Amino acid sequence: MSSPEEAALTAAFRDEWPRLIAVALRITGDLQAAEDVAQETLLAAFDRWPLQGIPDRPGAWLMTVCRNRARNLVRDSSRAQERLASLRPLLDGQTSPGGTAPGTKAAGIADDQLRLIAMCCHPLLATDGQVALTLRMVAGLTTQEIARGFNLSAATVAQRIVRAKRILAQHRVAFVTDDLDIRARLASVLDVIYLIFNEGYLPAEGESLTRGDLASEARRLAYLLTSLVPAEPGPWALRALLSFQLSRQAARTAPGGALLTLDAQDRSKWDRELIADGIRSLERARDGPRGPLLLQAELAACHATAPSFAATDWAAILAFYDELLAIQDTPVVALNRAVAVAMTAGPAAALPALDALAGHPALADSHRVWAVRAELHRRAGHTAAALADYDRALDLVSNQAERHYLAQARRQAEEAPMPEMPAFRKPPPELVARFDDLAQLAGDADRRQMFGYPVCVLRGNMFMGLHEDSIILRLADDDRDDFLSRYDSGLFEPMPGRPMKEYVIVPPALVADEAAIAEWVRRSRAYAEQLPTKKRKQKKG
Amino acid sequence: MRFLLAGTRPPGSGETGELALTTAAHRVVAAAAWHSWLRRWGLLLSFGLPRDPAAELRACLIVAASDEQAANRLAAGWGAVSGYRVAVLPLTGGSSGEAGR
Repeated sequence: MSSPEEAALTAAFRDEWPRLIAVALRITGDLQAAEDVAQETLLAAFDRWPLQGIPDRPGAWLMTVCRNRARNLVRDSSRAQERLASLRPLLDGQTSPGGTAPGTKAAGIADDQLRLIAMCCHPLLATDGQVALTLRMVAGLTTQEIARGFNLSAATVAQRIVRAKRILAQHRVAFVTDDLDIRARLASVLDVIYLIFNEGYLPAEGESLTRGDLASEARRLAYLLTSLVPAEPGPWALRALLSFQLSRQAARTAPGGALLTLDAQDRSKWDRELIADGIRSLERARDGPRGPLLLQAELAACHATAPSFAATDWAAILAFYDELLAIQDTPVVALNRAVAVAMTAGPAAALPALDALAGHPALADSHRVWAVRAELHRRAGHTAAALADYDRALDLVSNQAERHYLAQARRQAEEAPMPEMPAFRKPPPELVARFDDLAQLAGDADRRQMFGYPVCVLRGNMFMGLHEDSIILRLADDDRDDFLSRYDSGLFEPMPGRPMKEYVIVPPALVADEAAIAEWVRRSRAYAEQLPTKKRKQKKG
Repeated sequence: MRFLLAGTRPPGSGETGELALTTAAHRVVAAAAWHSWLRRWGLLLSFGLPRDPAAELRACLIVAASDEQAANRLAAGWGAVSGYRVAVLPLTGGSSGEAGR
């Protein structure tokens, strides 16, 4: 059990660790020596603080000891005599306790940390080396901790770190004199952090669905980056994405460890502070180009801000996937887009895309395409096809939590098959004309098409629409209760068993009643006015 | 009676190689609690730390104990929270409060 003091001290050490490595690296010029010096600094704190008391400014104390130790090391090393001479101007200026190198001030330290991250993500290194080195040098994780996170042996991780250090040393990747524009390397830095996050959030193997330490470390690194380069939108996009994803962490697994999909999660368990951070970060990220990270953050925001699964804006999600697919045409994106198609237009509309993806070589060893196709076959009422796909997915899945989920879904498909889904019908033209009349009552709302049906949207929120031969209205809780008590109607349920809980079906008699329907359109629009604005994707070009 | 407890880092303990930050924090908190307990009971008379942070000798404590057995028990406690190898030396004569400084 860790006490609050211990947790606070661990956090302080974690915050200081990359600074210590960076300042030691600046002085010694050698990654291994810098790491040793940072370790010795922590040991010195361990020796002294219990007896002398924890200093008022622990960070400054650690920095002073680290700098002195690094200087001693350089001075003591006969091999480093020449180097010491060349560094003399720099060293002479670094004497104030807790201070920084001349001319660097706080930004110098920040740049040092950024240089350290960029160095660990150097393009000379293989991805596994970049990840291991970043976690060791920037996050301060031990080889054992990294090995545990990735289900590797400590020896393998140690080898990766040693190899990465050797490559950097062999190629004389300089820290102090590296004048490269570090911001130009941000893309690969963000990739490495996202990779660390993904490994922590949904590991490929193992019993547990989450390896929270890695995911949390990735989030911490993303936070660090946003503080180091606040003007860059990329790190904000990553921070938004990770915050949204992590907000669901506590709700993703049942008490027994089984996977819970979005529709089954208890949204009250979602972390509202993380969602708020995601929204704020997303606002900052929108200043930048609409790259893959930003679009993924937008997608995550659609889920994180939906009040319920039924109220999820699948049309917006599909639009974001269309945009993402245009710039990142990968089978994984196509797979996720197919899910969005299924949610908006029914499973039958998505199955052709999944059939094509099932044969894609990049997904040959992945269970996901089979799991998704199985689910859609199940919802479409194709029980035999669903069972065959579940079997295929179960053959390929390696995460135990996902395996439990798939096995359970297969049992459900076998024991309680769903009736085959009808295809959606086109609305009669006279109803479309009537809808247009009603849309006039809604004032300045946008009239859009959604999957072939006209809808009215106010500041990004749909509130009135047409579906097959029905007009649907979105109403606030009280109004909805009032509506359902007055009319022989019901909730809108585009797919069996999946009602959109805020929407009601307008009965035909009411459609013809000018005064009454005008009042309900007014109430529906008033509700949409209260909803937070949803930004619509900007069309490219 | 007064005793000098000398704490050294055992050679080859591997601690200088890699230190988990959580472990470091745990040790600082545990050792701080142990030292404050020692102070509260009036057993810690003085302490000394080496000037060189890399010195093998990590810290010296001068403690009051009723006999050598009691001093050994204090040494064992200190070793447990610090990971040091602790040697116990009885001090004779007057105050030895300056030792190790």
